[in-house]
Amino acid sequence: MRKVFAVIRREFVERVRQRWFWVMALLGPVIFAVIFYLPTLLGRGGGVKHIAVVDGSTSVFGAQITERLNQASAVFVAVRVPGGPNVVDSLTAEVGAKRLDGFLLVSDVTVDSGKAEYRASNVSSFVATGTLQQVLRDLVSTTRLEREGVNPEVVARARVPIALDTKKISGGKTTGESGAQSFTLAYFMAFILYFAILVYGINVMSSVLEEKTSRIVEVLVSSVTPFQLMLGKVLGVGAVSIFQFAIWGVSGRILVSQRRRLIGEGGVGDAGQVWQLPHISAETLLLFIGCFICGFLLYSAMFAAVGAMSSNEQEARQAQQPVMYLVMIAFFSMFAMINDPGSNLAVTLSLVPFTAPIAMPVRWAAGNLPGSQIALSFAILLLTIVGVTWVASRIYRVGILMTGKRPSVKELVRWVRAA
Amino acid sequence: MTTPILVVDRVTKRFAGHTAVDALSLAVPPGVIYGLLGPNGAGKSTTIRMIMGIYAPDAGAVQLFGDGRGGVEQSERIGYLPEERGLYPKMRVLDVLLFLAEMKGMDRGTARTKSLAWLERLGLSDWRLRKVNELSKGMQQKVQFISTIIHDPDLVVMDEPFAGLDPVNAQVLKDTLFDLRARGKTILLSTHIMEQAEKICDHICIIARGKKLVDGTLAEVKRSHGGQHVLVGFDGARGDADRIFADRRLVAKVDGSAQYAELELASKADAQEILKGLVSSGARLSRFELAEPSLNKIFIDLVGPEAATAAAQPGMEVARA
Repeated sequence: MRKVFAVIRREFVERVRQRWFWVMALLGPVIFAVIFYLPTLLGRGGGVKHIAVVDGSTSVFGAQITERLNQASAVFVAVRVPGGPNVVDSLTAEVGAKRLDGFLLVSDVTVDSGKAEYRASNVSSFVATGTLQQVLRDLVSTTRLEREGVNPEVVARARVPIALDTKKISGGKTTGESGAQSFTLAYFMAFILYFAILVYGINVMSSVLEEKTSRIVEVLVSSVTPFQLMLGKVLGVGAVSIFQFAIWGVSGRILVSQRRRLIGEGGVGDAGQVWQLPHISAETLLLFIGCFICGFLLYSAMFAAVGAMSSNEQEARQAQQPVMYLVMIAFFSMFAMINDPGSNLAVTLSLVPFTAPIAMPVRWAAGNLPGSQIALSFAILLLTIVGVTWVASRIYRVGILMTGKRPSVKELVRWVRAA
Repeated sequence: MTTPILVVDRVTKRFAGHTAVDALSLAVPPGVIYGLLGPNGAGKSTTIRMIMGIYAPDAGAVQLFGDGRGGVEQSERIGYLPEERGLYPKMRVLDVLLFLAEMKGMDRGTARTKSLAWLERLGLSDWRLRKVNELSKGMQQKVQFISTIIHDPDLVVMDEPFAGLDPVNAQVLKDTLFDLRARGKTILLSTHIMEQAEKICDHICIIARGKKLVDGTLAEVKRSHGGQHVLVGFDGARGDADRIFADRRLVAKVDGSAQYAELELASKADAQEILKGLVSSGARLSRFELAEPSLNKIFIDLVGPEAATAAAQPGMEVARA
């Protein structure tokens, strides 16, 4: 066991010393931050807009619009301007001189036909046009109803906004999670699992390959059994990946807690609607870690065997493809599962051990994964890990001392039988 | 006779299509330098790998230190230098040594002390924090050599240790091997360079095509093979030497050049007859010596034709499955 520990330590120390490890450690959270905050930054569209409301109406409609727009203070500062023959021209000149962001044209026609016009230097901001539409729609319908003699109190009561709040039911209990949060959670868990299993599995493979091509493996297997060597390697690389996750976790925490400072005051409320940060419960974390460990063990054993049966990088790149396809199937089927996490396909994928490590968290986040299925999935997964490791270690044992051409499937079967 | 430290008992190893080692037996007594000699593809490396427990023999058994346990279980007592050398190219020299010492069951503290002492001794102290791939080939070989003996093993197994060594490093290696032997350690090495083996081995075993041809102490092998030999050195004039060497009543075999000849006497021939004949034919001699045959001659006599057939089987070392 001391030897296995020495192998683990070597894998860990040598990897953590490498530059790419720290590049990944530092770049990871930055990439995630960009993914999280990009919609926020784009959505804000340059802050508060100064606009004029050109009031061509004969009622208080223009004044009401101005007042309402100013209430949405984060978006607009509006000034009412009475309509006149040259107003539009002079305002256009103001916008051209960048003293004004734009102006809104309203008149009695607006109330009758619902037509209004917004001219501005930038008309592509969703927040700005969205706010304008909403304010106009509200006021137009209120004005029309009142004109028809409807009691203003009734109108006010009828105008109570509808807030469709989505809440996920999980395990027979209503959670505080919204639909958007579930999606975000499923997406990110699947992505991180896919990414980590692939990256660290390939790490195990290249580590095996390095010992093989540098010929040091012969000295090693005269001192440790191939199984001990493979075990140490997988655990060592696994420890590196968990260390990497820890770094990401801590820096991610800091980024999230500092997000107000990073983005600046205001606007966060809007951004939160685009990418709501999901609440990650202890159970979710536990399932995620369990899935990562199982998925990593399963795939890294296969990658180790691939490394052992190849003689150089090119061969390994070819031989790893079937294994990579398995991980990719698991990842891309996520999109089918999010829509219908209870479907036969989703259930099957979460039971098949090669896709389960990614399928399980997706169904879990989407709110459809009974406890009995978790237990069954993990049982199948663990059995498969034992079986795959057994086969892989036999291929590994023969393969690490082989040079020359890559073995055929028939030869591989013989290795497994003979070793 | 002392109990052998290593017994190889009729081991056989077959690979797809051919038998690499065929019922080979040998016994290595403690405290000697034992040479496993043979042409390329004779099965030396395969034999060594079975001794080390890297390969399981298809038949027969290997016994180390009179113990039933295999090479991997007893790796603490064995140092191994494989034919194909290798270190982690991107690791620092000292870290590689520490790791390989740990693989041999040493604790890190002791390994560090020993590593530093050895690096000092072989003049590599300044390189201890450099990466392996920054070292010259010769320096890498020294590092590899240190890793083989750092844990002070009782048995050192080296596959072609002199291959690729420059004369200076070869001398360092030789000195260290003699030093190990003086301290009661046993060394098993394989080589196909007979001059080298003749200078350092106490015991030898010659194999070809997986079979043992002869084994024993160097003196025994020389005594029992090749009969009586005469070494002749010419000082310019050869006289009628070629006619005398061609006389099958006197000379059984000749091996030599213009200035030098190694003769194997025909049975019952008298060396003095040859001397008389050479002198009277006008040859000027710088040397005329009754001698044991050189190991090289014995080797060529024994494996000459075998070596030719073995070489005609390419890929033997490759097909290891």
